[in-house]
Amino acid sequence: MPKKDRGLIELYHDDPERAEYMVFGRKAGPDRRGFLKGAGLASMGAVLGTTIPFSAHMPAGLLPGALAETINEFMFDAKHADMIVHNDRPVNVEAAAHLLDDDITPFDKHFIRNNGTMPMPMSKADWRLKIDGEVNEELELSYDQLMNEFEHVTFRAQLECGGNGRAGFNPLPRGNPWMIGAIGNSEWTGVRVSDILRRAGLKPSAVYTGHYSYDEHLSGDPDRPSISRGGPIDKMMDPHTIVAIKMNGQDIPIEHGYPARIVAPGWAGSVSQKWVTRIWVRDREHDGPGMTGLSYRMPRFPVAPGTEVAHEDMMVMGAMVVKSAITNPVAGAEVRAGAPFEIRGQAWAGDNHVVRMETSIDFGATWQTAELHAPPNRYSWQRWRQTIIPPQSGYYEVWSRATDNQGNSQPMVVPGWNPRGYLNNACHRIHFTAV
Amino acid sequence: MKTRVSTCGAAFAALLLALPAVAVAQDRITRYADVPQDFEFYPLPPGEGVDEVYYGCIACHSLRTVTNGGYSRAVWDELLDWMVENQGMMEPEPDIRAVMLDYLATYIGEDWEG
Repeated sequence: MPKKDRGLIELYHDDPERAEYMVFGRKAGPDRRGFLKGAGLASMGAVLGTTIPFSAHMPAGLLPGALAETINEFMFDAKHADMIVHNDRPVNVEAAAHLLDDDITPFDKHFIRNNGTMPMPMSKADWRLKIDGEVNEELELSYDQLMNEFEHVTFRAQLECGGNGRAGFNPLPRGNPWMIGAIGNSEWTGVRVSDILRRAGLKPSAVYTGHYSYDEHLSGDPDRPSISRGGPIDKMMDPHTIVAIKMNGQDIPIEHGYPARIVAPGWAGSVSQKWVTRIWVRDREHDGPGMTGLSYRMPRFPVAPGTEVAHEDMMVMGAMVVKSAITNPVAGAEVRAGAPFEIRGQAWAGDNHVVRMETSIDFGATWQTAELHAPPNRYSWQRWRQTIIPPQSGYYEVWSRATDNQGNSQPMVVPGWNPRGYLNNACHRIHFTAV
Repeated sequence: MKTRVSTCGAAFAALLLALPAVAVAQDRITRYADVPQDFEFYPLPPGEGVDEVYYGCIACHSLRTVTNGGYSRAVWDELLDWMVENQGMMEPEPDIRAVMLDYLATYIGEDWEG
């Protein structure tokens, strides 16, 4: 794993007074205590989430203990060695293409996209899910109630980051430069959101949800949600949208939302709030962080690459789009010329399903139809496979192209550029050499 | 785990089409992979303003967030505003902000490989 850049603790270790001036704007008084003219006191307090009553005595260069003691339960070792780390604070990790080969994605190969901190796990006993807003009766459900009072469903579901494939756009929009691996297809068990909303009783004014969670904003400001997105009521009432309490039959790992999260498959992963504690039923499109401006929004009309698009010309993304990944061979593999070998992968299509899968090993001049498996349930990705024979030695690329039941297929080149780089579903390509 | 490997066909295709026509010869590091791991402000590349950027960002997020992608001055400018207005960043003094923006636009510009 790459060397991590220096954290606050190391920073303080090297030159504590300079560190706190740079980070908090703090200047100590002449006796090296307190805060000269209050400089830095407010920002340090904001990070701590409280005031510092004895601030006048606080020695210069002292890293506040609350920050020094931050314990991180999550270890990168929990993930497969071939996972690609884009960032460690916030944690953003994707799978290399060949790690997407499992029909059910194991924990250690599932991508992580965090917006805020990796929280300390909240115990099941302390956890509550609040349902409020445009409902007849507000609910506050315990973990036990989810376990015992509602029907449970289990199915495989693709969760994909809205920005998966962003690295292909030019100019590169800001955000994590995901390649193809910000997608997973684990088996989730949980309670249908529709059952919970029916128990609360939706008012006719209910049109959208807003989701909240117990992770923290990176600034440490307790009043600022890390992210708060949601979805239209129709998507929330879909029987495949659940409050999940199990991932692959076990408690959900902390990095994937312990003890409970939304799973709204086929839509940008941010609709599927991890560590969820509240579903606010709204009478309008939700406007929490991640819903407005350019975030998780697409231009209403096609724009030239690099265009500055006015916020009012943007609209919230809906379902993800048809896509496929080549999971075997591993990029750069060496195979025998003239001998058959299997290429295979996964394909998925947001709210739709894939009906045709094609591959090419001659740069798209000819396409062969691959064997395509039906999804085991709606919203699962689908296995495809094909045997090919590279006719002679040399350099080849496998290209893969999926087509969904609405007739949409993957473009050969990167589709419409957009300010934040969402929905890139260009054909996946893997190179191999025949010898 | 490892750092990014180039497997994205789409990125490859875009590169072929859009390599800058003129390679600018500059005495600076233009790839994340080339920043020495023992550099004081790793993973940022050396350059005037590197400490302002480092300390201005590290309170909330790792510097990989900054080096993941290179952007134009306009994008960095908007991003600094977004950090202050939407993400709780302490507003830098105007002269510090100018130094930060100059560094970002110069050293982590559109030709930067994250």
